[in-house]
Amino acid sequence: MPVPPAFVILANQRPSNQRIVKLFRHPFCLLSFALPPQLLLPLQFPPRWALSSTSPPTSISAHAMMLLRSTFAQNAPRALQTSTVRGMASAVAPGPRYDVSESAGVKVANRDAPSSMGSLILVAKAGPRYQPFPGFSEALESFAFKSTLKRSALRITREVELLGGEISTTHSRENVVLKTKFLSNDLPYFAELLAEVASQTKFPAHELNEHVIKLLKYKQKAFFANSEALADDLAHGLAFHRGLGENIVPGLEVPIEKYLHVDAIAEFAKQVYVKPDIAVVGSGPNSADVSKWAGEFFKELPSSPSSALFKPRPNVASKYFGGEQRVSSKAGNSIVVAFPGSSAFGTSGFKPELSVLASLLGGESTIKWTPGFSLLSQATQGFSQLRVSTKNHAYSDAGLFTIAVSGNAAQVTAASKTAVDTLKKVAAGEVSGEDIKKAAALAKFRALESLQNLDTGLEATGSALINGSNPYDAVELAQAIEKVTEQQVKDAAKSAISNKASVAVVGDLFQLPFAEDLGLTV
Amino acid sequence: MPLASWHANAAGYRQLGLRYDDLLPEESDTVQTAIKRLPAKEAYDRIFRIRRAFQCSLSHTLLPPADHTKPEDDVPYLSNIIVEVEKEKKEREELDNLVVKK
Repeated sequence: MPVPPAFVILANQRPSNQRIVKLFRHPFCLLSFALPPQLLLPLQFPPRWALSSTSPPTSISAHAMMLLRSTFAQNAPRALQTSTVRGMASAVAPGPRYDVSESAGVKVANRDAPSSMGSLILVAKAGPRYQPFPGFSEALESFAFKSTLKRSALRITREVELLGGEISTTHSRENVVLKTKFLSNDLPYFAELLAEVASQTKFPAHELNEHVIKLLKYKQKAFFANSEALADDLAHGLAFHRGLGENIVPGLEVPIEKYLHVDAIAEFAKQVYVKPDIAVVGSGPNSADVSKWAGEFFKELPSSPSSALFKPRPNVASKYFGGEQRVSSKAGNSIVVAFPGSSAFGTSGFKPELSVLASLLGGESTIKWTPGFSLLSQATQGFSQLRVSTKNHAYSDAGLFTIAVSGNAAQVTAASKTAVDTLKKVAAGEVSGEDIKKAAALAKFRALESLQNLDTGLEATGSALINGSNPYDAVELAQAIEKVTEQQVKDAAKSAISNKASVAVVGDLFQLPFAEDLGLTV
Repeated sequence: MPLASWHANAAGYRQLGLRYDDLLPEESDTVQTAIKRLPAKEAYDRIFRIRRAFQCSLSHTLLPPADHTKPEDDVPYLSNIIVEVEKEKKEREELDNLVVKK
């Protein structure tokens, strides 16, 4: 059979594309080669047989039994293993540990979990905290997996489709994250892809104009249609001003076209995708393989920024300010009350009592059909059109503890007052020890769950590596939360309430209260 | 090539202040996409040249010799973008018709 020309191009272009060729051999075909012909013959029964309920001829069932037994035999030990792990759930089992290494100057972390699937992400210190001009992080994120010097965006998409994988990008306040998920055999392909995106993206002007800017405008609209996200962003701005306080998505009125130019973004990319400022974090594949392929493909990255133009903003230590901001909006009603929080685990500002306090105040139930034990969900039980959540946003050198209330304007007004009163009650010590115990258990669960989660755990690890602290260790983290005493939680609430708050109010300002009305000092 | 430059001068578009790439037929998706991708200054200059040439054509005049397109200015500015767009289209077509061999 003649090979179609398009396929020849695809297969011959680069060495790692041989994986695609491999893919074309379906595992079932391999199986069919391996099986004896007498077993194959009865498998070619007419389709009618497959639909009817009549039992197959005995010879087939015997072979089927053989197959069944062998597959079962393979899986049996694994099933036993999981049951033993479950039995130990009360103690903290040594969770996923990362093997940290450095290959070709790039920090690599990997957790070796036997699985047929893998995930590899690249974390770069290029979030809005470090961007030189508004919109740069957003643009850099959108330019990931677009045309590179070696292949076009379309080809990247089609190749990933053929291999069966997933590529996505996000950015947080500190990092731009490129994520890939794949079948574990395809690790070299995706390692190469990530390195290619980091070092050889082309940044053509038409991609900026035809895709990136248009997408950015939609993202802005989506962001500003979400009053809670907007209030959260404003609270960060009030709390930290510059740095961590930069808008996570540039505002609708920000003249992004003035700043966004392909040459500038290309230059910015060159300055942020440098060896000391990126980390490659994997989950699933063999650690030796990950560091081998990362070393092979990432060695071409520069080890220091090459020029002074459009370089990322220097890392200035975050300082807490506080204040109040009110923004009129038709998108919804939200109030975010924020206090200084705990920074990420492993840094000097890590305060586990704040994550316990966040679970104690809570607002969102983890169990269906019940408001849960948390103080805020108990206190706001009577409100039907309301959402309350308490979070600690942890960053590399600071954190923000936020209570977000959104929903119906009248209910938001009443509930935000209740929320502040509840926090004051905790500060005064009017909280039962049992609730604090429940909160500590939930905080531990949430912390460990976010480590386990591919989306949050890998980025947190990468971020820790770039910022020079150790990657998360589940056992230590759990121990830190277990050690939190009742008094510490009450003290944390007291220090929060005595500090200057950051209050962001978005929505129907005629009804929504001022910080003064809530009993907060700003 | 002396013969080529003689031919380009004899074709007469340089006397109207045009460049060779201004003459390319633009009634196709490919060329329209390429024109959209021109940098702002190039796109403006292109329209200016075409309008000036059109004016000359209406009034049956040529530009004064100082305004004629100089051979060193007569460089391809659009055809390279057209080639790129064509390449993209060809690649898409090839990938669309890809046969996966198992």
